[in-house]
Amino acid sequence: MVEVTSKGLTRVREIYQDRPHRAKELRAEDKKVIGYLCLYPVVEMMTAVDLVPYRMFGDMREPITRADTYMPTVVCPFLRSLLDLGLKGKYEFLDGVVMAHTCDVGAQVPGLWNTFVETHYSHFIDTPHTIHEAAQKQEKGELQDFQKSLESLTGKELTRERLREAIEAHNQQRALVRELYDLRKPDPPLISGTETLQVVVAVMSLPVEEGSKLLKEVIDEVKERRNGPPKKSARLLVWGPVIHETPLIEMIESLDANMVMDDTCVGSRAYFADIKLTDDPLDGLAYHYLVELKCPRTFREGVYGETSKEHMTDLKSRFNYLGDYAKEWRVNGVILQALRYCDSHGYEVPVVKDYLANIGLPSIYLEHDYTEGALAPLRTRVQGFLEVIS
Amino acid sequence: MTTEVKKRAINRLQTMYALRALVDEMYQSSLEAKKEGKPVAWCMLDGGYGGPFLNAMDVESVYPENYGTICAASGAAAPFLERSAAEGFPDHLCGYARNCLGYTATMTELGEIPPDAPTGGMPRPMLLLSSGMVCDARFKWFQALGRYLNAPVWTLEVPRPGMRESLMEGAYERNVDFIVKELRVFVTFLEGLLGEKMDWDKFEQDVNTTIEMDRVWFEVNELRKARPGPMHSRDFWSSMSASALRTTNPKRVTDLYRKMYDEVKDRVDNKIAGINREEKYRLTFVGLPPWHSLGFFDQLAERGWNFVIEQAYHPPGPIDLTWVKDPIEKLVRYRYQGLDHQIDDIFEPEEAAKVREEIIECGYSHQVAVRDAMDYQCDGAILHTLLTCRGTTAPLLLAQNRLMEVWKVPSLVIEGDIVDQTLFDPVDALRKAEAFEETMDHYKKVRKEAGLGW
Repeated sequence: MVEVTSKGLTRVREIYQDRPHRAKELRAEDKKVIGYLCLYPVVEMMTAVDLVPYRMFGDMREPITRADTYMPTVVCPFLRSLLDLGLKGKYEFLDGVVMAHTCDVGAQVPGLWNTFVETHYSHFIDTPHTIHEAAQKQEKGELQDFQKSLESLTGKELTRERLREAIEAHNQQRALVRELYDLRKPDPPLISGTETLQVVVAVMSLPVEEGSKLLKEVIDEVKERRNGPPKKSARLLVWGPVIHETPLIEMIESLDANMVMDDTCVGSRAYFADIKLTDDPLDGLAYHYLVELKCPRTFREGVYGETSKEHMTDLKSRFNYLGDYAKEWRVNGVILQALRYCDSHGYEVPVVKDYLANIGLPSIYLEHDYTEGALAPLRTRVQGFLEVIS
Repeated sequence: MTTEVKKRAINRLQTMYALRALVDEMYQSSLEAKKEGKPVAWCMLDGGYGGPFLNAMDVESVYPENYGTICAASGAAAPFLERSAAEGFPDHLCGYARNCLGYTATMTELGEIPPDAPTGGMPRPMLLLSSGMVCDARFKWFQALGRYLNAPVWTLEVPRPGMRESLMEGAYERNVDFIVKELRVFVTFLEGLLGEKMDWDKFEQDVNTTIEMDRVWFEVNELRKARPGPMHSRDFWSSMSASALRTTNPKRVTDLYRKMYDEVKDRVDNKIAGINREEKYRLTFVGLPPWHSLGFFDQLAERGWNFVIEQAYHPPGPIDLTWVKDPIEKLVRYRYQGLDHQIDDIFEPEEAAKVREEIIECGYSHQVAVRDAMDYQCDGAILHTLLTCRGTTAPLLLAQNRLMEVWKVPSLVIEGDIVDQTLFDPVDALRKAEAFEETMDHYKKVRKEAGLGW
């Protein structure tokens, strides 16, 4: 077993800079590492059969050269990049992949991955779109199939006992991430948005216990340190789909702004609701993954089966948690960001703006194409936004 | 001395015209219904799940996706697209959606249907019936309409499992059960919305009639396997609305499809093609057509290109449902037939077993996905990549790969959009098409050498 000497934020940066390194070490220790795409694959089930869940991402810095043969250029650049890395063998260290019906292109990637990327194991969870009772039952059925698939892969029985333990371990990790986020409430925050993102990405690369241990080290270190982020005029929340690399946040934080909160899937969406322990743990998991994950890919009504609708009532039911975040983290501006061709978030942008305007929070929408070059012109727009909100 | 008038390149079916007129009727009926205070819904194409419920409860409907094609074809989309952008919707979103968002924003601002709206426009709805089929835009877009409309949104769920996962024990029955349960809840919702009870006799009759209607339509399209191809894709697209969208009178449409069957059968028997030129190439169209530029296909027909089959909007094939008593379940089992059934339908038992084995082992089988290329003896495929439709565009290159891998059928990628005419360059597309003929000629030889039969 490899001895790790660095700790806390130093260790975070090491992992962030070279995520596969630890995964490869774990494989050398005969652990199986399973890649998963987005938030909807159930990590607790993987942990319960001693698999290491490893969140898969693309790479903003790697030019897309191979994926264009299999995926048109008018689709999400993050997913194109992910496929590109797979085709180039950059995910060879994985023992398999688990994907889910996240968005339209996200639902196409598994078929492409199975066909063109050599993989020993794969499974697709067809997450429903609504949160009706029948849909929750359907999600549970999907998880039952996932269970069979994992048991077949590992030769281990996924007992309720093991699953409960895994849920508790991941819930503990969620609580630690929330504790870390609490350290962004002071003014100035004790940890920057850039550092927070690095921590979350690092944690998503590790077995749950190792990730939680790292989180505790980071929390202790951050509480004690004297060289945290400087005070800035703007306290911002960033909303949108996947941000897993720091350039966008770094760009914003290089200006007169602290990124104090987020509503993204490499951020609060993964950690801000615990899974309820139910008699059959799959019920709690189905509810959490279908109902509690706040991603626009899920259709939510203001009131289930409502026969009339009022726009602001609907928006409040869908987005009040953003208002709560804004209050708790004393946010005075919101950056809505999305990748070009992200349809789920694209439809949401005007209505999220409507909600934010209703609660008096200014916002700006930034669209980018998952390259560092795309961020430069956005800097001017963010600067202008900060001048307005100051 | 007489001058011979050259026939139009595409040999349109006479029976198509009555079917195409149904689209205009749909808009007229909805406008009249609105005037009379009757319920009108805006619906997504939903695989046929929603129609019988709306028919049984006398709800008229229009289809904003279809309205997008009408606005595109009549050149009326541009102001709606501009308005959508002004409302803050990104320009990469679905062209149908942006057309509708811009239309609705305009209608709300004016307090009435926009003047000069094609076909008289779409009346303000009291229900938005969306669908989980095909793409997520189709419920996100209706959800976003909440900015302008207070109509509730209901989403009809349709599972989309992976190939391997759909063959897992119990998966198909669970999916059927899910759809049935959701539809029962949909009925409760409709009853609450309309203040009326479902007429189950009417519903059952409509289910049966619609299934029969689609059976006849399916048979019409089976005839298109003949050489020369008797019916061009343009006639398919003009005739499909009752099946792909909805008809309030499936019995009448069944009669129209029967007449079409007779006309197509006559062409088959007399070797009359769907183009008035020698059929040099048989094509399949993959994706959504460029509704604003359908004349492009006439230019291709001039060159002997006969589009004999397309990959979207087709009804399911007939299936024995005599054992199913509950009409909702019957509707679902007809509309959602599952991969297992599809494999048994296409392949002989020994080959079917191999295909299943391949799917379980590898997670996919190319064989299942591109069968039409062989059944309709296609020489080439046009893949229409759309800037604003990721649902149909994302899988296109995989289709290209499969067509070549399995049947040695080459593909030509033509870029465009469903609504925004400025994104489609017919001159460039035609230039590419001319060059593509050499490729198709080459692969005719390759297929013959490979013993593939055509």
